[in-house]
Amino acid sequence: MLKLTPTAIYELVITVILACWFLATILCQFKETRVSWFIRYKIDLFNLIPLWTFFAPHPGKRDYHLLFRDKISDDSYTEWHEMDITEERTFWSWLWNPEKRDKKILSDVVQSLVSSIPSYREKTGNLNLLMFSTPYIIVLHAVSHYKRRTENCHRQFMLAESAGYQKETTPSLILLSVFHQI
Amino acid sequence: MILFNNISQIVLIILSVGLLISTLEYLKKVQIFSPNGLLSWNVMQLKWTKENQKPLLKPFFKLFSVPGLAILFLIRCLLITGLLFFPLQSTVGWVLISLLGLSLLLASLVTHYGSDGSDQMSMLIIITLILCNMPALASSKLRDIGLWFIALQACLSYAVAGIAKLVSAEWRSGTAIKDVFSTKTYGSKKATLFLQKYPAANLFLCWNVIIMETIFPLCLFLPWPFALIFLVWGFIFHFFTAVIMGLNSFFWAFMATYPAIYFVNHQISWHLF
Repeated sequence: MLKLTPTAIYELVITVILACWFLATILCQFKETRVSWFIRYKIDLFNLIPLWTFFAPHPGKRDYHLLFRDKISDDSYTEWHEMDITEERTFWSWLWNPEKRDKKILSDVVQSLVSSIPSYREKTGNLNLLMFSTPYIIVLHAVSHYKRRTENCHRQFMLAESAGYQKETTPSLILLSVFHQI
Repeated sequence: MILFNNISQIVLIILSVGLLISTLEYLKKVQIFSPNGLLSWNVMQLKWTKENQKPLLKPFFKLFSVPGLAILFLIRCLLITGLLFFPLQSTVGWVLISLLGLSLLLASLVTHYGSDGSDQMSMLIIITLILCNMPALASSKLRDIGLWFIALQACLSYAVAGIAKLVSAEWRSGTAIKDVFSTKTYGSKKATLFLQKYPAANLFLCWNVIIMETIFPLCLFLPWPFALIFLVWGFIFHFFTAVIMGLNSFFWAFMATYPAIYFVNHQISWHLF
């Protein structure tokens, strides 16, 4: 018979935890289910349940670009200024690649914005409520802290995508914001 | 003293190299957490909007500032270095890895955007090692269970990635790798030119990745010389994704799981063959 020593109890508890963790990971590989939504957004505060579908089913084929401009008067604007995010890697990137973080953050934020656009359109008929979403605020916050021409500045940002080294594909617009007072 | 015949310890040492590089990379880019950075806490805290969560968030304003996070990352570097001198199963070693796990959990609150599969694999391994090596309570059987968990998660990750690619028309037609390599984010000019020159390589590479990832879990059951083929393939695969795609942290996080796969393979083989 199993003796209930502290070691045996601890072993049982940890085994159950690991088994549940593994089961939850399997369940969360299917993106759209109610169970996976509940686990991911209600239980998994620390992002401990991974999604292992790297670069599939739809691999990222685009580079994202974040640009902004300021309003000078009612009908004149500054040139578009691109935030320095997509830069080419160095020889040592296989070992030391701090630049990947900026790219991944912007890529995650843009993907989150793009994927939420259809649901905002469906629920409200327009995209105004998108301005209250966290990814939109992150982008606005990032562009609003770049140097301004005047104290009372109105700034607009644009998210665009390009096909990197495939020059034959022209860049395209993802989202053009309204002018925000910053 | 560190013993290299302890599989959990080898897992930790390989992972520590990757974690040290990753932490130093965060230190270099610590300005992304500044008030005007992409991961400013002023914005990231909006994820927790409920009234009862706000008092809990208050202490984090100081921690998630640039100086706060710089100190956290420096402490993390010291903890990782300390783990080279104290075995995982010693009390000091366990305290060090627990503090390391805590620092990773805390930072995950602000790095929701920008973290990737390698961060999740690292976190998964660290938490498993903490739980399965607690002094006085953890048995050798529990340490084995921890290694099983790490090996199964690694195999699940490859299999899921392979199946997700198998159901994708872009991967099956052999265009996916060319398209990814042609981006500045994850590609390279040389790789793009190479794949334009040799189009057959696209199809070969796509199907090579699909097949090997999908059947990767076989490495747990096959006799060791055959299982080793999968691990050598994995090594080459992660090395090239680091070189071509800049995914350096994936290399260390996934290599850290291989000693666990070796362990499970030898346990299963012992029963089967």
